[in-house]
Amino acid sequence: MTATLSNTTAPNTADYGGDEISALVLDPGYSVTRAGFAGEDVPKSVIPSFYGIVPSLNGPKHLYGENAVHTPLPNIEIGNPVSQNGVVEDWDTATQLWEYAITSRLTNTKPSNPLTNGLNDKTDDLKQEMDGVETQERPLDENPLLMSETGWNTGKGREKLIEIAMENWGSPAFWLARSGVLSAFSAGKASALVIDVGAASTSITPVHDGLMLKKGTLRCPLAGNYISDQLRLIFSTAQPSVPLTPHYLINSKTPVDAGAPAQASYRTFPIGTEPNPSFRALQEERILTEFKESVVAVWSPGRLGGHNQHGGTNLDSARTQNARPFEMPDGYNQFFGVERYRATESLFDVKMALSDASHHAPTPNQTLPQMIAQSLSQIDVDIRPHLLSNVVVVGGSSLIYGFNERLKQELEAMYPGPRVRIFSPGSVVERKFSSWIGGSILASLGTFHQMWISKKEYDEHGPGIVEKRCK
Amino acid sequence: MPPFKDEHILVIAPGSQTTLAQLGLPESFTPAQLRVSTRMFPAEKKGEWEPIKIRERKITKHKQDVAPDPIDGDTAMAGTDGQTNDADAADDEGGSYFEEDPTTEEGAVYPIREGRVVDWSCLFALMTHIYNTLSPPFHTPILIITQPAWTAQDHEIITQFFFEKFKTPAFCLMDSALAVCYAYGASTATVIDIGYEKCDITAVNDFLINDAGRGTALTGCGGESMTQRLLELLSTKGFARDMCEQLKRSGICEVLPSGTPMPGEAEAEEPNVNPAAAASAGANAAGLKGRGSVGDSTAALRVAASGTDAGDEAQDGEGEDNEGVLDVATIVASGKTSEFLARKEKEKAEKAEKAAAKKAAQEAANAPKPAKLPNAKRMTASFQYTERRPLEEINQNGKRPLQNGNENGEVTLKRPKTPEPQDLNETGASEPIPTSNAQTNGQQNGESTALIRRDVEVGVERFQAATGGILDQVADAVHRCILSVPEVGRRGDFWDNLIIVGNGSRVRGCKEALVAKLHSKYLISPSSATIFTSELPSNFTTPVATGANTPQPQSHMSNSHHGPGVNPLLAAAVTASNPGGLAPPSQHQHLAAQLQMQQYHQQHQHSGHGQTPTSIKLMKMPEYFPEWKDAGIEEAAFLGAQVAAKVVFVVDQGLSKGFMSRTEYNDLGPQGIHEFCM
Repeated sequence: MTATLSNTTAPNTADYGGDEISALVLDPGYSVTRAGFAGEDVPKSVIPSFYGIVPSLNGPKHLYGENAVHTPLPNIEIGNPVSQNGVVEDWDTATQLWEYAITSRLTNTKPSNPLTNGLNDKTDDLKQEMDGVETQERPLDENPLLMSETGWNTGKGREKLIEIAMENWGSPAFWLARSGVLSAFSAGKASALVIDVGAASTSITPVHDGLMLKKGTLRCPLAGNYISDQLRLIFSTAQPSVPLTPHYLINSKTPVDAGAPAQASYRTFPIGTEPNPSFRALQEERILTEFKESVVAVWSPGRLGGHNQHGGTNLDSARTQNARPFEMPDGYNQFFGVERYRATESLFDVKMALSDASHHAPTPNQTLPQMIAQSLSQIDVDIRPHLLSNVVVVGGSSLIYGFNERLKQELEAMYPGPRVRIFSPGSVVERKFSSWIGGSILASLGTFHQMWISKKEYDEHGPGIVEKRCK
Repeated sequence: MPPFKDEHILVIAPGSQTTLAQLGLPESFTPAQLRVSTRMFPAEKKGEWEPIKIRERKITKHKQDVAPDPIDGDTAMAGTDGQTNDADAADDEGGSYFEEDPTTEEGAVYPIREGRVVDWSCLFALMTHIYNTLSPPFHTPILIITQPAWTAQDHEIITQFFFEKFKTPAFCLMDSALAVCYAYGASTATVIDIGYEKCDITAVNDFLINDAGRGTALTGCGGESMTQRLLELLSTKGFARDMCEQLKRSGICEVLPSGTPMPGEAEAEEPNVNPAAAASAGANAAGLKGRGSVGDSTAALRVAASGTDAGDEAQDGEGEDNEGVLDVATIVASGKTSEFLARKEKEKAEKAEKAAAKKAAQEAANAPKPAKLPNAKRMTASFQYTERRPLEEINQNGKRPLQNGNENGEVTLKRPKTPEPQDLNETGASEPIPTSNAQTNGQQNGESTALIRRDVEVGVERFQAATGGILDQVADAVHRCILSVPEVGRRGDFWDNLIIVGNGSRVRGCKEALVAKLHSKYLISPSSATIFTSELPSNFTTPVATGANTPQPQSHMSNSHHGPGVNPLLAAAVTASNPGGLAPPSQHQHLAAQLQMQQYHQQHQHSGHGQTPTSIKLMKMPEYFPEWKDAGIEEAAFLGAQVAAKVVFVVDQGLSKGFMSRTEYNDLGPQGIHEFCM
């Protein structure tokens, strides 16, 4: 029984010295949006940041949630309110999407009327009391909200966030924290160099005494989606090319030998109702995610393009390494040997990048080791050794097999003097949701209560207060 | 606080359609004692609710009709002129009385829709009604099964209601998926709960629900969608919704695994005689195409599916089986043994008579054709449609329902409707049953309406209940749900422990078809030589992508026996002394380097790091509770709720914070429930 209770329940309030205020933590990302109650160790609501657009009589209709974006409805199109660099572009949709994340699992859209919910016996005098009360209920009337933001969020964007929380959702208190800082908190560190390898971008955030060092904060586009693009290039240039047909187009598959062409029965959609290519792209991403989870790895020791101590190239060694089989949804299966390492190598070594007309190769400055070097070079020389011995690696894409070993090896090569230590949570959940977990810890701290920006303060000072308070 | 007793525990499992409840845990857990429809009728006063439709009626007009033997078209006509009468009554005479109508659904409010609470007031009224019906003593702990779609705030509202309305001493919320796991005694499983209008898919990892990627309330994937699909296919043939619902519940409605040819398709000259079949031509065509080449897995399933018999046979069989199981202990204990035996004897005699008659009828029916085909092979089959009609209408037809004896009725029913394979294509599939000459076999029920039974014949549409894409959607959600389990290496366990529950899955063949779907779409075939790479030190014998299934025999082949943990020096020594190839020193060195490299990679390898699923299995139904065998395991959540209630309230008594006590509620308020609910 204890096992069933310990993990999802909030820790004892006594442990934290905080009062139960049921604060919410919202951590929007490019591929997933996480929301949940502060004090819990896993976000209860994890929904895709993608949304479906289907045509309807009164214009395009937006559909949110896991089920909606993966069902091949007629003419469905997939959108994302967050742009590739992690900045919100479509505020209206983003607001609705986040609201969905909160209301679908945490709070209700429509709390019941106290007059009729059966909880109150005498309805008459209550009716009089309720007359003056505003009838329109908002999703967060009772919950303070802590939101995370990217390190490169603009001042406008920050003001917009507090506006949404206060005006649209009616939250009584609000706080905005940098996701890098929260990740450092989740690792139990006030000072750290946080490397968050996400879907759309990798962020490098130096954190000192719980504050983000703005100068050294960098965004790098080489992350999960970049690896997916590399895989697409590998598949399409292979001889013969590897088909990438998502599950929704397959009715059933037939086992075939490795490398043999697929024999599957395909699903066809009536003309004019096919899902939009953006839907297919999202479904392909599902396969690629599975591929990354089960096949892709990062080469080490040394660089893939380099030589080993016996004079042979590592590329040759990789060919003879454990090849891993992978079966596509249409039954095509193949062994992937050197390709396993090839897709990730350009995160570290730009020479190994694959590119074509639509996918440009990254510049030499964009590789992870280079970005880290740039970040460190911009911060105070005194704290560099401390940060290097507190490198926190988080994010879903950092789970790729061998990533941390390679990163450590690259860092040690660049900084031979100080001791490089990498901290990375062992549990997958903690790695994926690190910034949410950090937010959950922060918002449940008793000492944090005085930090909240209250509704009253917001009314007095306007949205500009967020710049002053949330550094 | 005194300890709780088994017989005081109240368990309630609200669902969109049916709510199950029980007071007290029996020695051996039984299916729910109380089953009520999850609906209430608005009472006269706004905000109040009644469990049964209450109609206001004028006294004067219907006086004669109502008093001893009320016969009129109550249900049928109430919708049109009932209301106006009521209004008149209030205005003119003021003399009216209230009448309960237990049969109607008119005006009913269903407080839970697609798993979400849409009307709290109504739900609370229902809970109060259930509570009052069972009338538990004061010291009653309550366990509520929650729907996956309920939000944290919903949990708080319910907690508040139960503590403040019933002053319960202890309260516990439990997720339905977790309850199913308790019932199955499984710590890790994928629970697929096919309900009325929705389906929930949950990965439970070590008794913890995996919230990320959980398939919560997939709309359009429940039993109702199958009914709607049947209605869509059959509405042109005069089928009403209710007929489709009963067809779905009958034994002849079956979900065939995709790839199984519809009867008549394989042999008939004109494959698609009916427009309905044409509508799903895509699926059929695909099925036919796949048929030649589907892997052995599907074939095996198909055999399993066709091993079952036609619907009516199965039903008969069940009836006889039930007779055999008697709970002797309770009968003796009740002290009414002789009475019971007499009754039983009478029943038996009746049954024998009935069976004899039926057999005779069946013999007559079977005479023209040599062997009875299984349901899945027949073009048409008929099911018994029970309909509630006003008595008047029946009387007009000149048939007193009561005069038709049971046996008699059934004999006449069976005779004319037996499907004959020869004339299927002309009449069978395309012709609905004309209602006028249908045999009526009424039982008097209630006051003014009667049940009429008649046989209705259906064509191959009965196999297409799930062709609306339900299986695809559910299968896809299962795949997504399992792939969002964070531990990549454990995903295989989730594929091997599938549990399909929910009353929507009662449709014949539904579970098999879903598993077949998962097999045909997602199973990673073992033929791709996965087996070899996982066992060999693969830098020696990795098959190059030549399409060959077996590794090429090489001189290093002997290494394969050492397994991955082999000492490289030993391996090198063995290879060096291998008589097959006396390796020159330089090559030897190279080999050692390779082995070093290989070991490095093996050290850092996840053990189960690979693609899933390599096998898909349904979990076996638990057998400890004989009462559940007959009832079916579809409502396993309720069994799990009883198990959990026993553990939480009686065994554990709150040591592990399994439930929230009243004092804790007073301290923490409704929000405290999150620390306790499971």
